[in-house]
Amino acid sequence: MTALFRWVRTNSEKYLLEAQQAELAQRYLGRPPPVGPRTPQVLFWKYLFVPLYRRLPWKVKHLVILAMPGSHRRDWSS
Amino acid sequence: MTNTIVVIGGSAAGMGAAGAAKQVDPDARVIVYTELQDVAYSPCGIPYVHGREIDSFDRLILQGKDYYEAQGYEIHYETTVSAVDPAAHTIQVPGEGAVHYDRLIICTGFQYERPDVPGGDLEGLYYVRDIRAAQRWDEVLDTVKRAVVAEAQPIGVEMATALAHRGIETHLVDPHPWAMAEIADPDIMAPVEESWRELGVHIHLNTRIKAFRGTERVRAVETSDGEIPVDMVVVGAKKLPNNQLAAEAGIKLGSTGGIIVDQHMRTSAADVFAAGDCVEVPQGTTRVPVQGLSGSHAYAQGKIAGSGAAGTLRSYSPVYVPWSLVGGKWMVGGVSFGETLAGALGIPFVLGVAEGISRARYYPGFKKIRVKLLAEPGTLKLIGAQLVGGEGVKERCDFLAMAARHGLTLHDIAWMENVYSPAIGALNEPMALAAQNGLATAGRS
Repeated sequence: MTALFRWVRTNSEKYLLEAQQAELAQRYLGRPPPVGPRTPQVLFWKYLFVPLYRRLPWKVKHLVILAMPGSHRRDWSS
Repeated sequence: MTNTIVVIGGSAAGMGAAGAAKQVDPDARVIVYTELQDVAYSPCGIPYVHGREIDSFDRLILQGKDYYEAQGYEIHYETTVSAVDPAAHTIQVPGEGAVHYDRLIICTGFQYERPDVPGGDLEGLYYVRDIRAAQRWDEVLDTVKRAVVAEAQPIGVEMATALAHRGIETHLVDPHPWAMAEIADPDIMAPVEESWRELGVHIHLNTRIKAFRGTERVRAVETSDGEIPVDMVVVGAKKLPNNQLAAEAGIKLGSTGGIIVDQHMRTSAADVFAAGDCVEVPQGTTRVPVQGLSGSHAYAQGKIAGSGAAGTLRSYSPVYVPWSLVGGKWMVGGVSFGETLAGALGIPFVLGVAEGISRARYYPGFKKIRVKLLAEPGTLKLIGAQLVGGEGVKERCDFLAMAARHGLTLHDIAWMENVYSPAIGALNEPMALAAQNGLATAGRS
């Protein structure tokens, strides 16, 4: 399961960042988006996952993120 | 009975842990294993020796080997730990066999992400990490006329600046539209890019490396925008947690690949602590785990882990990640979230931006500072910041991290007290101006 969660986080982080970088590059610099290879995996994350994620409210996204295993689920109360 | 504490790793976290363990329990037997030839030096200083701002690698060494021996530490240099058995409380060391521990502290640090392109195994690819290797590479640099810095992650940014200072024709190649695009915002990095051009750096953004070319040694870098002949390549890639040993021992890892720890830096295995670049810790505002922070984070975590291993549990807090570095002629920095990261995650924010100056406008040598503050809509609590300026960036990042930790709002910062003294501070504090603009944007001024 650890490998699965790492795969999800690595890819979601990469493609969400790239989508945001594309918008900010256009807005601030008038430049094109980041470049990368076009593979079936890219198409899934870029055209399916990112738009879907962006439609969810932050509270829902946050709950999903916090449901993943990690240090945040250990005791940090003090 | 003597408490045997074994530390795997001799960098910031490892030596912080060893020191704290001895401090808490002077009678403890503290054994450190490191794969390297040295401990207790500052790898973060390496780019500045290459850039000739610092005249010698010796200046990076904090303590010599004799010091640690005299203090009673048992340090095993150039020694690899091949396995950890948490149930038996032993580690396996080739040549030594099974070594018992009462408490173990894992500080195995990071490894660079290797470029997934042909030619990645050629000679002439430099990964900046170890001081001895850096000394060898520094001699190579004397013969280098043209170099590529592959990727503009923080180490790439520092090395591009260092090579330019050294007078080497430097090409910075990165697939993103601006440098450090995963951490910094484009408007923050724009002055850095301009100053690199002034220093003679050739910037190839939106450009992907397709291969390193050469027979035994790299001779050219093939990019999506053409081929660049080179004498060497500095790989400025992302840092990944070095956790194979922990994973093989069954110690739980999180979604970042970092070791899961609690506030005392305890792992999922009994009597096993971990600290530094190999662990993940929660970010303060969102509680989302983050990994791969600075040397100061690693050192502080090491202190917590070492103290706990020696019998006194202390607590580490969720992080707000103040960071800062020099790129070109500018200092850049931030706290937690910028527009890029907050926008990517989908965290709502109010933005306040302002440009100010570092000293009185009539005082010679004043520098511009651009400050961006991100605040939570509604409460207007600070959640992040980004800065670029000629001076005074690090101190403001430290302050803003503390402000975020303690829940300060844009209202608090907008009307903060600040030092006004012509030679060191302007009448209008740039952070206050940014907060005032944020309040205006939010319709709350």
